[in-house]
Amino acid sequence: MAVAAQSASEISKKKSSSGSTLLRVGRYTAIRLLTLFVTVVIGVYLTILIANMGGYVDTIMKSQITERITQAAAANPTFRSMTPEQRQQTVQTQIANEENRMGLNTPVVIRNFTYLANALTLNLGRAINMTSDSGSKEVRLIILERLPATLLLMGTSELSLFFISLLLALTLSRRYGSFWDKLVILLSPTSTPPAWFYGIFLILLFAAVFKLLPFGGMIDSPPPTNPVDFALNVLKHLILPASALFISQFFLSIYNWRTFFLIYSSEDYVEMAKAKGLPPRDIERRYILRPTLPTIITQFALLLITVWTGAIVTETVFQWPGLGRTFYRAIGFFDTPVIVGLTIIYAYLLAITVFLLDFVYALVDPRVKVGGNQ
Amino acid sequence: MLRKRMMLAIGLLMAFSMVLTACGGTATPAPTTAPATQPPSAATQAPAPTAAPTAVPPTTRHGGWLDEIDVSTVDSSSAVTQIQAGAINIYADGLSPADLQSIKSANLSYGTNTGLYYDMMYNPAVFKDANTLNPFSDRKIREATNMLFDRNYINQEFYGGGALVKFFPFITDGPDYTDLADVAKGLEAQYAYNLDKAKSTIAAEMTTLGATQDASGMWQYKGKPVTITLIVRNDGDKTRIGIGDYATKQFQAVGFKVNEQYKSGSEASPIWISSDPTAGQWSAYTAGWINTAIERDGKGDFDAMYAPDSAQGINPMLANTNIDPAFLKVADDLNNGNFTSLDQRRQMMAQAMKLSLQDSLQVWLVDDQNFTPYSNNVQVTTDLGAGVEGSQIWPFTIRFKGKEGGALKWATTDLFTDPWNAVAGDNWVWDQALVKATSSGAFMLDPFTGLAWPLRASKMDLTVQTGLPIFKNAEDWVTLNTADSISVPSDAWADWDAKTQTFIPAGDGKTAKVKAVVTYPSDLFQTVKWQDGSPLTPADIVMNIIETFDRGKKDSPIYDDAYAPTLQAWQSTFKGIKIDSTDPLVIEYYTDGYVSDAELNYPGGPVAGQQLIWPQYGFGEAPWDLIAISNMADAGGKLAYSTDKADAKKVEWMSWIGGPSLDILNTELTTAAGSSLIPYAPTLSKYITADDAKTRYANLQAWYKAHGHFVEGTGPYYIDKAFVTEKTLTLKNNSDYPDLADRWSQFSVPMLADAKLDGPAQVKIGDQATFDVTVTFQGNPYPQKDVKGVKYLLYDATGAVVATGQATAVADGHWQVVLGSDVTSKLTAGSDKIEVAVSPIPVSQPTFTSLTFVTTP
Repeated sequence: MAVAAQSASEISKKKSSSGSTLLRVGRYTAIRLLTLFVTVVIGVYLTILIANMGGYVDTIMKSQITERITQAAAANPTFRSMTPEQRQQTVQTQIANEENRMGLNTPVVIRNFTYLANALTLNLGRAINMTSDSGSKEVRLIILERLPATLLLMGTSELSLFFISLLLALTLSRRYGSFWDKLVILLSPTSTPPAWFYGIFLILLFAAVFKLLPFGGMIDSPPPTNPVDFALNVLKHLILPASALFISQFFLSIYNWRTFFLIYSSEDYVEMAKAKGLPPRDIERRYILRPTLPTIITQFALLLITVWTGAIVTETVFQWPGLGRTFYRAIGFFDTPVIVGLTIIYAYLLAITVFLLDFVYALVDPRVKVGGNQ
Repeated sequence: MLRKRMMLAIGLLMAFSMVLTACGGTATPAPTTAPATQPPSAATQAPAPTAAPTAVPPTTRHGGWLDEIDVSTVDSSSAVTQIQAGAINIYADGLSPADLQSIKSANLSYGTNTGLYYDMMYNPAVFKDANTLNPFSDRKIREATNMLFDRNYINQEFYGGGALVKFFPFITDGPDYTDLADVAKGLEAQYAYNLDKAKSTIAAEMTTLGATQDASGMWQYKGKPVTITLIVRNDGDKTRIGIGDYATKQFQAVGFKVNEQYKSGSEASPIWISSDPTAGQWSAYTAGWINTAIERDGKGDFDAMYAPDSAQGINPMLANTNIDPAFLKVADDLNNGNFTSLDQRRQMMAQAMKLSLQDSLQVWLVDDQNFTPYSNNVQVTTDLGAGVEGSQIWPFTIRFKGKEGGALKWATTDLFTDPWNAVAGDNWVWDQALVKATSSGAFMLDPFTGLAWPLRASKMDLTVQTGLPIFKNAEDWVTLNTADSISVPSDAWADWDAKTQTFIPAGDGKTAKVKAVVTYPSDLFQTVKWQDGSPLTPADIVMNIIETFDRGKKDSPIYDDAYAPTLQAWQSTFKGIKIDSTDPLVIEYYTDGYVSDAELNYPGGPVAGQQLIWPQYGFGEAPWDLIAISNMADAGGKLAYSTDKADAKKVEWMSWIGGPSLDILNTELTTAAGSSLIPYAPTLSKYITADDAKTRYANLQAWYKAHGHFVEGTGPYYIDKAFVTEKTLTLKNNSDYPDLADRWSQFSVPMLADAKLDGPAQVKIGDQATFDVTVTFQGNPYPQKDVKGVKYLLYDATGAVVATGQATAVADGHWQVVLGSDVTSKLTAGSDKIEVAVSPIPVSQPTFTSLTFVTTP
């Protein structure tokens, strides 16, 4: 009976513990989500303010409209036959129409909040000046159209870079001071030049001199009609830009991971495991990889959302139709809806990733407790 | 040990490459020494070195010379390398003078055309702040700055000598310049670089304005240094940075403090265009302008570039209120064509040139050039104004030398920048170049003279009101008559009733200043076909006339707010149009608008704005059936022709080439085909039967099914496939095109003249002297009949023009200048110069050459 009573008490404690865990996790989740949402709101609003230059973009756009329309009027022979007054009136009407079309008649504060509200609800709206390649002014389509190309390029280069450098780093960390280790250290400054720098060299070598690979673009002109040939042709065009991105970060990435693993490899518990005579593979798996897993997962998760952003200059050098170039064009056009559209998606992805990582840490590392003090 | 050595070697190699990287590429050194004594002249300009003509055997091929043109996008920085490597055959968008050396080094062929032109624009306003002096509110100071800038130095230093020095608003190597070369050269000599003269003139004027010079020579006004806020554009080809830095140095040299501000176009325009000039946000701006076609008539340039009633109506011009009334009058008179003879026009132009330099709201510096590189096995026409990409003629002449057929790789900067539709779609030059390949047209613009030739039309009879300054060139396809009064027929279509969908007749008593009657060949409707196989019909032309009006009428379901002012402007000169007959097709057109060249007064030419006599809309050709379904989509609020209406209605901007528009248009096509719809039935049912409509829609459906887009025309190439995201497109030869491929072969190479001047090295003052001018084209004598004139200018040792005149034709390729004793007696002992300007008829560019000789007492 006493045993039974004790068990009931234990069960009650367990229930109480389970209930408090749920409460803790629930409270943590709510606060975390709220915090992240507020962060996203502030981040996006700041983006809108910066994209609008605090309203100065309106002045720029109005001047550009005036310049464009007045010069078109001057070049239009039918306008030359009009009196100066008629001409001015017509030109002013056109300028007013264009300002109205671009929404410049709505106060910038109201527009900013409209952009913000639309962005938060993922109603990406219409671009001001830009169109998608297929001719759509929907920001959603402008982004979606370029997304596959960016994911293909960035995904290929970044994922292969991540896994290859991780594996090589792990191997090197076991061969500290070896020739290959020294070679990697020596070559790590090669990551100083940006990817496009390597891109130009690769183009010169493999396109201009050896004529093995195309200079740029995503497909031959005319594109192959057979789907298999089409895919192979895209892959052929992918080799140089993906290689440029890969090479530009390769040695530094190995060096970083190798240093990271070395730090963990020199922990006391690793030395203890070695002293106990555990096999190297077990040491690697249980004593090095496991404690480093949260960092690796974090890096991987952040990499996945970085893939979204594209590579502005590399895409330009290789004429790759990716999101990086879209972003660059949007900035050049002062196309706030497109800039906000790209930013909000990135912001949401980042927020969701950060949120999920907290739980993932708890799953992979027993020392971590969601919403706990440690 | 070996490994250590290897590591050392790799380390050294890396260090070396890092140093190289850090150093970066340096610009090709441009000549730093300005040939300051060299008078501004076009003589130093290399003639456009297009490829040598290839003997063209008679052909039976219809359409274009090529089987296929594969279009892709390429970054301009790799264009030359890609042509060298054979990856592309032509970079159609052209390169700047900075790339000329690399084109030459790669031994590529290239075409040359006029590009941007640059100047120093001044803020002419008196600033609101009475304590701040704007020196450029003073005309004489502005005028003096002409002598402050060494244009030859600017050309050599920043444009590698590839530009032309410029003093006047019209193009330096254009027809007006040639015609007025004697006036121009005299003024150029008067305003040539002369720092001392500029300094003394500015000093005198500054003193008058109440400024004083401090011990260091800096101008002070009310206790503050006189500061010039110079806005320097730092984007584009970056050449304006050099101009700005140089101008800063020169302004400082005459005692001004300079606040030089680098700004991009978008940063600069709120200041120089939109700010109140009296607020003093800027004093000077490195302006740039562009001509996209050969400028045959620069008479309106003075009004546009200086006058407060300028057609541009932007703040710097509006603020030029202290303009000399005489200059304003002559600028306005020229702009409005208030002259009755070419001689009178010439005198007025000469007066305006002189007064424009005195006004100098803008001090012109250089005419830039654009270079289109292509591989040596390619032959293509370069329009002297529009280049290759901007020309109408390129699809008719581009080919591999000595070969019919083949696939050419065409590269350009971008593709599908905006949605394509012929009514109010994409207007980017690289996209329009491809649309032009699918189009034909009633007339073809001459790539070398800017005049026109009949393409699908056969002739034009032009009647103009007596006294109007319209003159015919040598072309025999146009007749020019005058009449005291030109009546518009009462039944001519003058307007459109969008409610009843019928034309509004002109009614009685209407007159026009110009009447153009365009006649087409009798087999027009049998030989010309749309690329989907439908024959051209009068309905295609009438549809264009309707569409021109309907989009600007509030009662129309396709009304577009943004288009209405354009229609209104056009209707201010349009008087009526009448289809006289459809077999053969004869169309009468009545207007009050005109240009001086009779050949260019065809409807749709540079003056008419709307090409009503051919199914050529603003941005390409289209058959009536395509317009009908597009109208359905626009009227139904599913798509919109223009970006303005698309934004207003929150729908997609209509694209005939790709994207979400295609499904919508296809649905409309199915609907139209199902009912054999005749659009604008009250009018068009006279031209279209239900059977016609059925066939048309069926052909269009088949076209869409085969090619996946709706873009089609009547031109020498058709668009087979377009991949909008991948940015590639394939043009294929239209073998149904009525003309043979060699129809425009005479335009393969511009007949730019080579001129040489020979004569005595020493001339005794008071003696007669004879100089021989040899004019050739590709080594052969230039025919006399093809030369408008050879003008000579004689300069004395001070650089002043002492005599001008015409050389005498001796034989083909040989002209002679005889300086009589009365002329040589005007010279003083020293080094003198004779310069000749050869004006060929087949090209609008003159050729200059000069010879220096010594005069002795």
